[in-house]
Amino acid sequence: MIDAQGLHKQFGTVQAVIDLELHVPQGSVYALLGPNGAGKSTTINMLTTLLRPDRGTIVIAGHDAVRNPDAVRRVIGVTFQDLVLDRDLSGREALDFYGRLYGLDAATRTQRTKELLTLVELNDAADRLTGTYSGGMRRRLELARCLMMQPRILFLDEPTQGLDPQHRAMIWDYLRMLQQQHGMTMLITTHAMDEAEILAQQVGIIDHGRMVASGTPAELIGQFGSDMVRITANYPADYQPSWLQAEWVRNWAIQNGELRVGVDHGSRRIATILDGLRADGLQVSDMNMTRPSLGDVFLQTTGRALRDEVKS
Amino acid sequence: MINATYAIWLRHMRKFTRNREELGGLLIQPILWVALFGVGMGRMLPDQSNYLSFMLPGILALTALGGAAGGGMMFLDERLRGILREYMVAPIPRLSILLGHMCATVSKAFFQIIIVVIVGVLAGAQLGGGVVGWLATLIALICFTLGFAGIALGVAARSKSIMGYHGMIFLFNLPLLFASNALYPLDSAPVWMQWLAKANPATWFIDVARSSTQSTDMSTNLLNLGLLLGFAVAGTWLALRRFNAVTAN
Repeated sequence: MIDAQGLHKQFGTVQAVIDLELHVPQGSVYALLGPNGAGKSTTINMLTTLLRPDRGTIVIAGHDAVRNPDAVRRVIGVTFQDLVLDRDLSGREALDFYGRLYGLDAATRTQRTKELLTLVELNDAADRLTGTYSGGMRRRLELARCLMMQPRILFLDEPTQGLDPQHRAMIWDYLRMLQQQHGMTMLITTHAMDEAEILAQQVGIIDHGRMVASGTPAELIGQFGSDMVRITANYPADYQPSWLQAEWVRNWAIQNGELRVGVDHGSRRIATILDGLRADGLQVSDMNMTRPSLGDVFLQTTGRALRDEVKS
Repeated sequence: MINATYAIWLRHMRKFTRNREELGGLLIQPILWVALFGVGMGRMLPDQSNYLSFMLPGILALTALGGAAGGGMMFLDERLRGILREYMVAPIPRLSILLGHMCATVSKAFFQIIIVVIVGVLAGAQLGGGVVGWLATLIALICFTLGFAGIALGVAARSKSIMGYHGMIFLFNLPLLFASNALYPLDSAPVWMQWLAKANPATWFIDVARSSTQSTDMSTNLLNLGLLLGFAVAGTWLALRRFNAVTAN
């Protein structure tokens, strides 16, 4: 449903997106992950016809997004990271206006507005100005707005940013319902790895404008083995533990004073790793072991932890 | 096209009629101009009601300019808040987005202009001219407002901040009136200023309005109306060009 190939976009001297390829089959959810400034927004803007790529092709539901943007606009629904709701309109008016913009007749507008407000459980607040809504309510109304024209594909830029856990779970439920009951194809961008793991069948990690990793969450996580051992110690700058070249090591890296080793069986290997570090004369100050997650994939491929993201 | 233009216009009108602050401000502003400037200046002159009749078209021009600046502001606000992108992902012509805003701008300016005329007449301005004169004034006013709304939207399409926009707009708001025949007859002005005033769309409009409502020499009305029509088209064209440059990169 979404096919992008060889996408390039340059702003002045900055290469925002470089040779990006992306395929989302019908009815599946794709999560685009990446640090701020990685090119996520540029990518989503190009896919939603807001921005013209310098090079490359985008085909959305069979329509060329560059040559025939209006055809694409008719089949997609888009929500933006920074909410675009007009604070001086009520929730019902916001939806009604959106339908009017697309030329829906009055009866259909009333009908759909009612259905969607029920879907996102905003019936009670429908006639209040959206300026009085909480963050969670606004996100829900945005979701309702982009469903107003019954799109086949949704593009959701950070759909749960700034929400508390309860409201995030609520949005996730809606999105899963849309996928399962309506076969909706979705592309979401997110900072939150748990969101990607829960919602997406396909994940792409983008950094400095390039796609640095892509696949199913299981594939991406699988490269780390079944356990991830993390050990904090006083590593010298050029530390090269040659003894990690063993068949049970899937993957290792030292970042921010922490050694992370993906292994086949954590509890069996942890003693070996500690012995190796001690033999190299290092002082271990902390250690733990977890199941690897998309967060580890992200850290490995972008060199940045998600914690850094929250601050920026 | 027409549908989307109407939808955007309607949205602005609904917000406008709901916003008491904006309504109140727009109501009071022209009243203050007529009551303070018109009446105050008039007292210095022997025939008070005559000056008011003379300067009322000037206040109309000022009101239209203010309305155009406000229209640009409304567009900038929607752009900076990202509301514009909601229109941009919709399958509607880009021109309709612009026209929707321009129509809303002209509508709001009209609301004000009716108030100005009522207050002006109550304060003693004498307006003649009959239906043809009024119609000519009306057309001139629409063209004048559209032209400046186009310029204001063009500036707003690029401005990075509200402060920057105001800086740009104030540059050509009041000075434009001073460099026209709005507040004083040009006969006594230096030659360079007369030329400046003649190239000023405000002068074209005020000429039409003044000669029509005062039933003086109406020979230049057709020329002025033509110039104003060209100005309206140029303003729309400028806005569309800047708008496309910003959105289609």
